Amino acid sequence: MILSYTPIWLVDMVGSIMMIVLSLLSLRLVSQLRRRDRNNIIWTYLWWICVALSCFAVSRSVGHILKNFLLMAGQKTAWAAIRPFSGAINSVMFVVVGSVTLFFERIWDVYQLVLKDRQAVKSAHRELLFLNQNLERLVEERTNALSASEYKYRKIFEVSKDMILVATRDGSIVNLNPSGYRLLGMDMEKDQIENRNVREFLADPEAWPRIIASVEKEQAVDNVELELLTTDGARKRILLGGSLEDAADSEEEVIHFLVKDIQKRKVMEEQLAQADKLASIGELSSGVAHEINNPLGVILGYTQLLLRGESDASEQYADLKTIEKHVRNCKTIVEDLLSFSRKSDTEKKVLDIHKIIDDVLAFVQHHSNIEHIAIEKEYSPSVKPLLVDEKKIKQVLINLMMNAIHAVGQKGNIRISTDGSATAADLSIKVADDGHGIESRHLNKIFDPFFTTKATGEGTGLGLSVSYGIVKNHGGHIQIESQPGKGSVFTVVLPAVPALQEI
Amino acid sequence: MKPFVRKLTIFAGPFIVFLLLAGPAWATQKHGQPEGLYVHQMAHIFFIISMGILEFWLRQRNLTNERGWKYLQLAAVLFILWNIDAALVHLMEEHLNVLGISRIDFWHLKIENTQGQDAISLIYYFLKMDHLLCVPAMFCLYYGLKTILKNTALVDREGGDA
Repeated sequence: MILSYTPIWLVDMVGSIMMIVLSLLSLRLVSQLRRRDRNNIIWTYLWWICVALSCFAVSRSVGHILKNFLLMAGQKTAWAAIRPFSGAINSVMFVVVGSVTLFFERIWDVYQLVLKDRQAVKSAHRELLFLNQNLERLVEERTNALSASEYKYRKIFEVSKDMILVATRDGSIVNLNPSGYRLLGMDMEKDQIENRNVREFLADPEAWPRIIASVEKEQAVDNVELELLTTDGARKRILLGGSLEDAADSEEEVIHFLVKDIQKRKVMEEQLAQADKLASIGELSSGVAHEINNPLGVILGYTQLLLRGESDASEQYADLKTIEKHVRNCKTIVEDLLSFSRKSDTEKKVLDIHKIIDDVLAFVQHHSNIEHIAIEKEYSPSVKPLLVDEKKIKQVLINLMMNAIHAVGQKGNIRISTDGSATAADLSIKVADDGHGIESRHLNKIFDPFFTTKATGEGTGLGLSVSYGIVKNHGGHIQIESQPGKGSVFTVVLPAVPALQEI
Repeated sequence: MKPFVRKLTIFAGPFIVFLLLAGPAWATQKHGQPEGLYVHQMAHIFFIISMGILEFWLRQRNLTNERGWKYLQLAAVLFILWNIDAALVHLMEEHLNVLGISRIDFWHLKIENTQGQDAISLIYYFLKMDHLLCVPAMFCLYYGLKTILKNTALVDREGGDA
């Protein structure tokens, strides 16, 4: 088959020239790329590829062009001499291009690492620049935020109604809020808390080890009911909770306590329990009194009937008189029980309580030997007239006064006062003495019928029970505060407004 | 005799004797004419393999999603095809002895197939114009680099990262 050599010649010649031109243009482009960023390893890699390809293209194309010209000129021998060199250079260039190409993966990985590092450096640089430019403002903002936060938490600490206490494990007080000072009976201005220990304020010396044991075990202590000793010696019941905190800026771990004063709640609970108990006893007493009252009436009636037929000098008359006297005593007790159980009838009138108190004081001073007992009275001018049964209220006040006199003994002070401000709905009458006081174990039984600390024969134990029943019958209540050795205060609270509204 | 000299005599003596008694070693090999052709063909194969690997890597790293690198990938593929073309021409001319090629004059070739198949002669004829593959490959390389340069300049102007 005979074919024209012209197409092959043309493609060979033109192609060779284009290969040289394009390879050199590519080398120029990649050189520009490299000049843009000499540290970019990818551009360096492409530059080496282009250098290798340019060498290959030039060597091969020059060889081809030379071959065509030599053959055209009939210089076959010359071409035969050059040909092995041209072929060998081409082979070497193939290997060089291929070898350079195989570095791509490693080059790319390095490039990615460089990019990542560069990005990190850029970010750090930007951040540093930002911080440098805005440091003052940022510090100010952060300081303001910290101040606001500190103020907020300080405020919570200061205005909290509950005691907030910070202490170390050994009980040393680190910080105490104003409520804490108040609860402990201390003055923030005068008293220093820094060198005090929590143990000093706990009534039970074993309480602190128990608290610490709980903190050690559970990192917290949960609502423990304790008794707190205030600086004036009073005891207050509290509910204590707390948790251990590892303070970052402190060398020692501290415990944060929240202490709730539950004294009032406890007193109220005890009063409710007392009222329930007395109500039950009242029901029982009422039943018993009713059952006994009728036979006593019969006994008294028949005794008086028999007395009529006896002469005053007879022995039977004396016996019957003894029976009559004891039956009357029994009837008094029964009536007292009925008063306690609030079953007795009342005759209420609008009266001035101060007048009633004056009558009672006159009666007491007249009938008792109280020469060395100072009785002081303090009346509130705003007390309004009350709707009361005069006889029964007098009985209450006499009972309280007699108890006070008995508590004071031969010498002492008794103070009776009233309080009823214009806005208050209740009137309170306080009878305070500085006598021997009542032991705390007796306080919850003080209003029980037949309970007495007096010697046998000195009292029936019905005085306070009757007083309690009468006050309750008037819609009021009676309270007692007492400290052994210091005295007692009985407070009778009577409703003022509702009674007046009934008129 | 000193100990060192004695030791040297004991160990070196037999070697010297052995060397003196040795015949021709034939240590260097002669390199005949076909060797250059084999090396050239192997270089073509190496070129094909390296370009194939480059194409694979470009795809694997998703670089082919960018226009510039896409042209570089195309250049690699065209260089592979050109290498196959060139290697086949060398094979037909100098290995297989299936063609008898002679010049009638400078502008005419006589291509004879030993088995009388003209198709093989025609294939050889067209394969001989290998610049039809390597010039486009080189153009793709050029165009790809141009696009990369353009994009890089654009990114630099916008102040972004390359």
